[in-house]
Amino acid sequence: MAGPDLVAAVRQTAELARRSVLAERRQLLNILPGLVFPLLLAAVYSRQFSRALAMPGFPEVDSFLDFILPACVVQAVSFGATAAGTELALDIENGFFDRLVASPVARFPILVGRLAGASLVAAIKAAVLVAVFLAFGAGVKGGPAAVLVIMAVAALLVLAIGGVGQVLAIRTGSQEAVAATFPLVFVGIFMSSAFFPTALMSGWFRVVAENNPITWVIDPTRRLVIAGWSTGDAIQAMVVPAAIALVTVSLAVRALHRKLGRS
Amino acid sequence: MVARPSLMIPTLLMPLFFIVSFTGAFSSLSRLEGYGTSNVHDWMAPYAALQGSVFAGIGGAASAADDIENGFFDRLLLTPGSRLPILLGTAAYSGLRSLIPTTAVLLASTLGGLSLRGGPMGLVCLYVATVGMAVVFCLLGLTVAYRMRTMRSMMLVQVVGFSSMFMSTGQVPLHFMEGWLRVVAGLNPLTDVLQFARQGFLGPLTWSTTWPGVVALAAMVVVTGLAAGRSLGKMAP
Repeated sequence: MAGPDLVAAVRQTAELARRSVLAERRQLLNILPGLVFPLLLAAVYSRQFSRALAMPGFPEVDSFLDFILPACVVQAVSFGATAAGTELALDIENGFFDRLVASPVARFPILVGRLAGASLVAAIKAAVLVAVFLAFGAGVKGGPAAVLVIMAVAALLVLAIGGVGQVLAIRTGSQEAVAATFPLVFVGIFMSSAFFPTALMSGWFRVVAENNPITWVIDPTRRLVIAGWSTGDAIQAMVVPAAIALVTVSLAVRALHRKLGRS
Repeated sequence: MVARPSLMIPTLLMPLFFIVSFTGAFSSLSRLEGYGTSNVHDWMAPYAALQGSVFAGIGGAASAADDIENGFFDRLLLTPGSRLPILLGTAAYSGLRSLIPTTAVLLASTLGGLSLRGGPMGLVCLYVATVGMAVVFCLLGLTVAYRMRTMRSMMLVQVVGFSSMFMSTGQVPLHFMEGWLRVVAGLNPLTDVLQFARQGFLGPLTWSTTWPGVVALAAMVVVTGLAAGRSLGKMAP
């Protein structure tokens, strides 16, 4: 891509990201459940699982609130992660996508613009959640740097999950089909170390939870919260969702090229 | 339900997902002293079944909301006769729907070693509780649907259902809880219904556990029934 083309692509990506952020802001009611539900879960779990903290195998934490913070963030951002896909499907359904393709906009920003907007919103959501947790007595032992990692993880997770949503949006052009991916993400979170340590699980469930990529993201993020700063944990927490995002966004780009090649 | 069995898939899958994830993630809780059972399935199966029933009830109300949106309900209101069968029919349908997730949860939990210490009457208590909860949440859903006339409004009822089940003794006994949750769960009528539904899996049935659950269930049916009747009356005087 030549210099002027690259500048144009970056500008187009920023413009589509801004459109995506504005769409989310206009639909604040759609964002609220994504914040309220994980907070409710955290509030209930922190008051009912405090006896479990003393169990052998449970990591050393000051409170269950500290333990559940990363899970709460992952859950909250997953609520909005499919939005980038459903927005694209909506654009395909209502014809905006065709107009966009007919315009001199580069192909890549059509996908990345929306994902970038959703990622930005996810990072803000993560910061809000951390602030709420801190207000209720939780602590982040890794300090401000760990909070930045949590925000980055949230943004990268949205890219990873949103990429899947965009593949489905391009292939089906149906909002319903994209929205159907949400329950799968929800199941994935529950079958991970999000709410309880894998060391206290048993049988096939433990095997599934230990090999669940969400566990690979949550465990290092959690260590940053409950144990303190570790560069290795910070890298692991960000590399896993970044690698998944690379795969899913590449698949989305490929699906877009195929779609445009056919039409 | 018979013509489109696919509509039952979410009602069936949700409680199965609950029983698998709750028993899988929280299996070690049964090792804590005072939990009430050494097998987490005995504790979680009635909870998952009740969760499934709540969604079955809301699903029944959602079908009525769908009828309102697509105009079928208006045609129904043009027919002569009492409005009561419209309400009772939907509630009965929801109660019937709840049998499917409850049975599915029981079958899945049997694989996990579910024990029925209270004998067959324990099963009767569970089915009475789940059918009752489906009726309650169907009537609550109808109250909202008749007023807001949209399918989307069922989201609101789902939030109420999910939150109220969550703030009960669903996952741990009351004495495990602390602070505000202990107070809320103690006052939550769903805690009484849960204890009534669960008792046959934890030990022999007792009258002191049975009557609060039955009274709570009956009171909720009456209150939500009156509210739904009033909403229907306002919608179609």
